[in-house]
Amino acid sequence: MAESLLKAVDIYKSFVGVQALKKVNFEIKPGEIHCLAGENGSGKSTLIKIISGVYSPDDGHMEFDGKSYSKITPIEAIKNGIQVIYQDFSVFPNLTVMENLAFNSELADRRHLVNWKRMREIAEEAVAKIDFKVDLDALVGNLTVAEKQMIAISRALMFNTKLIIMDEPTTALTKKEVRNLFNIILKLKERGIAILFVSHKLNEVFEISENFTILRSGELVATGSTSELDAKKFSYYMTGRDFQQRHFVPVNLSENPIFEARGVGMGGRFTDVSFAVHRGEILGITGLLDSGRTELALSIFGIKPIETGQFLVDGNPVRISSPQVAIGNNIGYVPEDRLSEGLFLSQSIADNIVISEIDRLVKSAGILDKKKRSAEIDKWVNELAIATPDPNNACQTLSGGNQQRIVLAKWLACNLDVLVLNGPTVGVDIGSKHDIHGILQQLAKEGLGLIIISDDLPEVLENCSRVLVMKAGRIVADMNAGETDEKTILSYML
Amino acid sequence: MEMKTQTLLKKLSRRNEPYIFLVLLALCLLIEVRSGQFFSSNNLVDIASALIVPGLFAIGAFMVIVSGGIDVSFPALASLSVYATTKYLLDTNYQGGVWVAIVMALAIGAVLGAFNGLFIGYFKLPALIVTLGSSSVFKGIMQGALNSKQLTTIPVGMREWGTSSLFIAKNPVSGLTSRMPVASLAFVIVLALVFLMLRYTMFGRGIYAIGGSEASAHRAGFGVVKTKFIMYIMVGMIASLAGVIRVCMMQQAHPTNMLGMEMNIIAGVVLGGTAITGGRGTLLGCMLGTLLIVIVENSLILLGVPTSWKSVFTGALIIIGTGVSAYQVIRMNSTRKIKAKIQEVV
Amino acid sequence: MKKVIALVLLVLLVMPVLFAAGQAEKKGGYEIVVVPKDASNPWFVRMKVGVDEYAKETGLNVYQRGTPQIDATLQAQLIQDLIAQGVDALCVVPVDLESLEPVLGQARDAGIVVVTHEGAALENVDYDIEAFSNAGYGAFIMDNLAEAMGGEGVYTTMVASLTNGSHNEWADAGVAHQKSAYPKMQLLDAEKRVESFDNGDVAYNVAKELFKKYPNLKGIMGTSSYDAPGVARAIEELGLIGKAFTSGTGMPLDNAALLESGVVKSLTLWDPALAGKAMIALAVKVLDGDKIEGTVDLGVDGYTNMKFKAGSDTVLEGEGWIVINADNVYDFGF
Repeated sequence: MAESLLKAVDIYKSFVGVQALKKVNFEIKPGEIHCLAGENGSGKSTLIKIISGVYSPDDGHMEFDGKSYSKITPIEAIKNGIQVIYQDFSVFPNLTVMENLAFNSELADRRHLVNWKRMREIAEEAVAKIDFKVDLDALVGNLTVAEKQMIAISRALMFNTKLIIMDEPTTALTKKEVRNLFNIILKLKERGIAILFVSHKLNEVFEISENFTILRSGELVATGSTSELDAKKFSYYMTGRDFQQRHFVPVNLSENPIFEARGVGMGGRFTDVSFAVHRGEILGITGLLDSGRTELALSIFGIKPIETGQFLVDGNPVRISSPQVAIGNNIGYVPEDRLSEGLFLSQSIADNIVISEIDRLVKSAGILDKKKRSAEIDKWVNELAIATPDPNNACQTLSGGNQQRIVLAKWLACNLDVLVLNGPTVGVDIGSKHDIHGILQQLAKEGLGLIIISDDLPEVLENCSRVLVMKAGRIVADMNAGETDEKTILSYML
Repeated sequence: MEMKTQTLLKKLSRRNEPYIFLVLLALCLLIEVRSGQFFSSNNLVDIASALIVPGLFAIGAFMVIVSGGIDVSFPALASLSVYATTKYLLDTNYQGGVWVAIVMALAIGAVLGAFNGLFIGYFKLPALIVTLGSSSVFKGIMQGALNSKQLTTIPVGMREWGTSSLFIAKNPVSGLTSRMPVASLAFVIVLALVFLMLRYTMFGRGIYAIGGSEASAHRAGFGVVKTKFIMYIMVGMIASLAGVIRVCMMQQAHPTNMLGMEMNIIAGVVLGGTAITGGRGTLLGCMLGTLLIVIVENSLILLGVPTSWKSVFTGALIIIGTGVSAYQVIRMNSTRKIKAKIQEVV
Repeated sequence: MKKVIALVLLVLLVMPVLFAAGQAEKKGGYEIVVVPKDASNPWFVRMKVGVDEYAKETGLNVYQRGTPQIDATLQAQLIQDLIAQGVDALCVVPVDLESLEPVLGQARDAGIVVVTHEGAALENVDYDIEAFSNAGYGAFIMDNLAEAMGGEGVYTTMVASLTNGSHNEWADAGVAHQKSAYPKMQLLDAEKRVESFDNGDVAYNVAKELFKKYPNLKGIMGTSSYDAPGVARAIEELGLIGKAFTSGTGMPLDNAALLESGVVKSLTLWDPALAGKAMIALAVKVLDGDKIEGTVDLGVDGYTNMKFKAGSDTVLEGEGWIVINADNVYDFGF
């Protein structure tokens, strides 16, 4: 057994009275790939900041290579071979790859003048370490997310690095890019560099890491070998709750479809798409990013109206030419990026809930009926268990999961017949994800017709009664969710 | 070889300077056609001497915008430092050379710039708010403490420097003469120094880095606060130098007639391809944009634009100029998105 | 750090109060405020001399309050503040007639007496005072320009802005006078009127352009006090001394060098200090309830024999113009 590279012992940290870390122990060995997991607010970023010297612990100590420190500065952390790659990769989008690579070491050497030749040499050396092929004169802003990440990794390797900490490194990467990243991580491991991987994505934890540490509410709840972990245990450690896999079984299906598409098409993004949704049913639509799934969702809600074919609501043809028409026909839409499209982040939670039913809360003179308004708000905050001390707080004070509940509340307040959800749990932590799934299934049971558009296959399989697969703008498969599996769906998608 | 020229052309087409240069060239040719006077030696000297003061202001505004900030206080800052200097030298009946005036104005400019830098750098307040406020404070000090009014005579050293010339251009046809002020040397020197600083010092690269991402700059080890503080001091000094030159060339100190220049200066900087969001832009583009504004402002009569349409014309040109560069950015972004999508599929 | 901020801000807050403390003493009688175009232009600094003198002589609460720069919006705001303050009379030298009209209307609705200067076309005033008839003064400037040009050649006119009231009236009158009196002179057809924005640097650059584009241009008739000095700088630099000429309004001492060197032969003027006094004297008369009719004597030099402008019952005109040349430039004391 090798000596540990870094050990954090009995770490305590609190911020203005809130205990962020309570007696947390953590250990990583050279060449180890370790996953640090936990929901939002579990204390994982606090732990990273203590390890990298940004925060100093209230109590406890750390050991690097056997030397003990009660606290360290960021510079000491770097000298001990610790490098952090943040989610934004700390790059300068406006500057060239060369400068992005060379600045850190030039500044560390306290240089005041720029020698472009030396900078180029430093940059060439840096990319060579991971065989990263890139135009050193390209602007970083023009690169893909994965390339930016490679720059951050190359840069981190320039300092006799022993441990690289990566904060949510797979967010915004394509499947291929994730595989590429994992290959690089494995190569680094061969060279004895340890990787600490911060994530709350289950499949990543399983695929790459040897050991894991899970934090919840500032406490260490589990640590050990990943081989001993399974999906159920992982969810339990993360949330402290037991989840049953509730495969959705539709009840009370209506006889006639509440919503139907007949041969609809739009500008080459999708063509000849037909499907029907009944009350009580959850229809899943999946496909790759460019399959046309998002455009289809936007068309149903009238943001990008269809050009051919027709939509039928409750058996009647309807020309959905704008979101207003869609809302008028009791169709709601939860967008993919709730932050920019679905919510007024700086407005209060209460206002966000009532915004789409505002017309019904108005007295005859056009004045807002305050009693009715607060009754509605109370109702939805309770019904969807939105965790907030005061509905008058701004929306941006909430976590991702709670924000998504508000988007739901906003629509449910309108007495919908059909609700379209695009990526309903993107960026939402496990606990909230389960809760949202529960809400969606409950809604279907109450007689709503739901369409979930998602590339999260477990989500689709668990919650939908039927699954449509889109590829290059067409529907290539229509299956019962109970009779298929991820592999089959993937084969249709690719 | 052909490949090389092609990639070079492609690279150029993504930059802003060639477009501004073409617009500039078209405008010059138009003026020449309308008046027959644009490319005459004396007119070119006139344009060059009209560029000195806006050019210096633009260098300062450029640095600030590249760092991700904005400065609307430089005309007030320049007015205050040069007014205080001139008044003091008049009151003490100073008879020496211009150097004392320049050094004194630079010192006051540094202090006033430090005032901006203190609030923007150390206290992390938004640059627009701070400079709007400091602009009022500077004007207020001028009016309240210095009881400003137009000074129609200036110290002899300043007067002589303002009228001394490097050379005099004479138009052989009309016989008109124009002098190239010695002050143009100061402009060239500042331009060269700032160019070298931005390109060959870590401080200069730090200004770009901060404009690109302040958080990244901090993590990379740039002294973000210190860089901003020093930069605003430098900008204050450059603006004050512009103020001294303006007063010397006009042979009188007017406390308010530089105020209001900030809008056209900033427009020129942005016109030259400097991103208003910070991080991107070149000094060359900035100078081309400023030159364009200066030429427009000083050629409307040569062009034959009726007096009553002057501001419409200037405004339209600014919109067209910035529109061209904005369109470029949109086009680049959309190709980037398509590229990303293709990679997703593959 | 926070303490430093607080201290700096506190000093900034307190400073104006300290400076203002000296002005706070209250005087008896009418409160009459003179609002010039701005506070730093020497023209209005001179006006303030007259206003302060009047206050001293009569003991009335009379003072001048100007905006930091020439700006129609700022002037309107200042006047609105003064209305709210409840002064008895406002004496205004307007920057822009159209934008000021409604504000002056508000003042009159509030029962404030409004007297203006250089704003003959305004409607919402009790009276407007002109040092002289605009036609008379415009013709007077033209006489000066014609004398310098030897009564022949092409000329154009320069005003602060095309919306400025009196400048344009002078220029119009000057052109009309030239047509009848100096048939050998000719108005430049392509650029009949240019703007200087009351800024010497603009006047200088515009003049340079004009002389470049129109080689046969021989004279520029200035109106604002920045015009002729700015044009003179251009004439000097372009090497046109003795070939091109300018005339217009200008302060004596400020232009002494120009007049003595012969770049400018003569400038025209009236004394702003007297105009300021005359405005206040008229306001006092109105507040006292005196009847303003026939020939009015305001007891101020040049304003003792004021007559209503033909066809108007608000505009009073005096005979206050003067010529300044190298011989008398030092005689005025300002």
